Amino acid sequence: MTVRRFRLSERCFASLLILPVFLAISLVVLFPLAYSLWMSFADVNLLRATGPALELLGLRIPLFRYVGLQNYLRLLSDPLYWDSFGRTAYFVGAFVLETTVVGLGMALVLHERFVGRPVMRSLLLIPWSLSRVVVGLLWVGLLDVEFGALNGFLYKAGLIDRYISFLKSGFSALNVLVSVYMWNQAPFATLLLLAGMQSIPIELYMAAEADGAGYWQRLRYVTLPALRGILFLVLVVSTVNGFLMLDLIYVLTMGGPGNETTTISWLGFQTAFQFFKFGPGTAILYTLTVFCLLLTVLYQKVMFRKLEAEEA
Amino acid sequence: MPPAMLRRLASRTVVYALLALIALWLVGPFLWLFVTSVSYQRNLLARPLAFIPPEVTLDNYRMVVGVVRFHAEGQAAKILPSMLNSLIVATAVTVVNLVIGTTAGYAYARFRVPLKTFSLFALLFTRMLPTVVLIPAYFLLFKALGLQNTLTGLVLAYCSFTLPFTVWIMKAYFETIPTDLDKSALVDGCNRLQAYYWVVLPVSGPGLVASGAFTFMLCWNEFIVAQVLNTKLGTTTLPPVIAGMNAQINIDYSVIAASGFLAALPAVLLVLGFQKYMVQGLTAGSIKG
Repeated sequence: MTVRRFRLSERCFASLLILPVFLAISLVVLFPLAYSLWMSFADVNLLRATGPALELLGLRIPLFRYVGLQNYLRLLSDPLYWDSFGRTAYFVGAFVLETTVVGLGMALVLHERFVGRPVMRSLLLIPWSLSRVVVGLLWVGLLDVEFGALNGFLYKAGLIDRYISFLKSGFSALNVLVSVYMWNQAPFATLLLLAGMQSIPIELYMAAEADGAGYWQRLRYVTLPALRGILFLVLVVSTVNGFLMLDLIYVLTMGGPGNETTTISWLGFQTAFQFFKFGPGTAILYTLTVFCLLLTVLYQKVMFRKLEAEEA
Repeated sequence: MPPAMLRRLASRTVVYALLALIALWLVGPFLWLFVTSVSYQRNLLARPLAFIPPEVTLDNYRMVVGVVRFHAEGQAAKILPSMLNSLIVATAVTVVNLVIGTTAGYAYARFRVPLKTFSLFALLFTRMLPTVVLIPAYFLLFKALGLQNTLTGLVLAYCSFTLPFTVWIMKAYFETIPTDLDKSALVDGCNRLQAYYWVVLPVSGPGLVASGAFTFMLCWNEFIVAQVLNTKLGTTTLPPVIAGMNAQINIDYSVIAASGFLAALPAVLLVLGFQKYMVQGLTAGSIKG
């Protein structure tokens, strides 16, 4: 009898502890998310808020005119959307590849034994802790065609005879965005991978060495298999981050030259907040959201299987 | 020298060469930001470029804080007030996160919560959600609520992407604290809330520091939401002001660099100061999550 009362109160207590976060998330995430979804099916006119509205606790929330799939259909027949789609695919692919390779490379070097290891680990946190606005303007200082330090260095070394404008051509600008974002994000991948490397039992390495395995064989047969879970995490997180990247585009290229660095997230941002077309804008951004949802499901599935395998 | 020693020497050399390269890659750009911020623009334009500045000056900082007048002083005058706004917003969001996010993390770590799997999935999804998709809704909802161009609006909006992280990090942290601690507190006559508040929380310092510092950093650095929602003069935070200066052609890069360095410094110092806890908390929160 006492045991049952104990159980019940545990559930109630736990629910009470979670209630504030649950309310907050409903209010600042779920409700706005639903409202944005509605807007993607509506003809949103920001100047004329007449028409149907949702009356909620004395608030008048405009619902605008429902237009069905119109925003989405226009989107799918817009060549700019598909161009952006292609560029996003390139951006995400290159970003994920660079982040994984550089992140893993840095982790392998930093996992070696050397003098000043703690200092090197602190340095990892610097690019990662900067605001993307600062990251952007800091790289302007390196890449600019008039005062860029990288140009200055290449010029001094005699490798170029005139300063290069890295952001002038679209493809070069897109690659600059990828690398700058990678500079900002790869250190975090390194931190995760280093944590993973530290949890690999030393006996595995000793056994591999006793069998005569060299550095690359130990990497191939001991380190990488042990890091599989974390590498997967890095892949998923960097894929999502690649899809959503926005602030660096704002600071460095504004989607240009022309539309040549316009990704889906920039197109959505531009449509919604520079042209103030909320209907089409939310439709574009919702196509991104669906991607994220799919990736979350995939991530969840794989991680849960891994956890179950570990517990079994 | 015997070949084994020679090989060892060679591999050491490679390691230290790579380390030097990585160090340059990680800190070089940030150091250069500092160098440009204490240089005169004319020296940055000189060819060949001097990597050690021939003249060092604090003029750029003087312009940014408004001691020296210059042609874009109107822009520069926004920096200090917006910094205060950033500080207020980031602090408020951090407090909210530590109070309600932490309790939820504790519940997930310890108890059988109704809809546990589903709600954790929802949190994970929120963590991966593009915040920008919410902004049109915030825009109209805040207008209806009269929260447009207010710091309260920003605090609400920022909770959307910080709370999931806090819950996740704290859940992972509480899972490292032995359950025996809570149980013995209950045996000693505490009720559940007291056991959490008086016994578990006091030994959760590292987790609280990790999630608090991370939340503060995210808010301090956030740009897009503040840029779109708070457009009225004096209501926005530091990143939009800096981005605005960066977009203006007639402001010298050295001045922009000085403002950028001022914006970066608090976040960098915070993260370096609490690095031990942050690295532990974030890696545990990400890997176990």
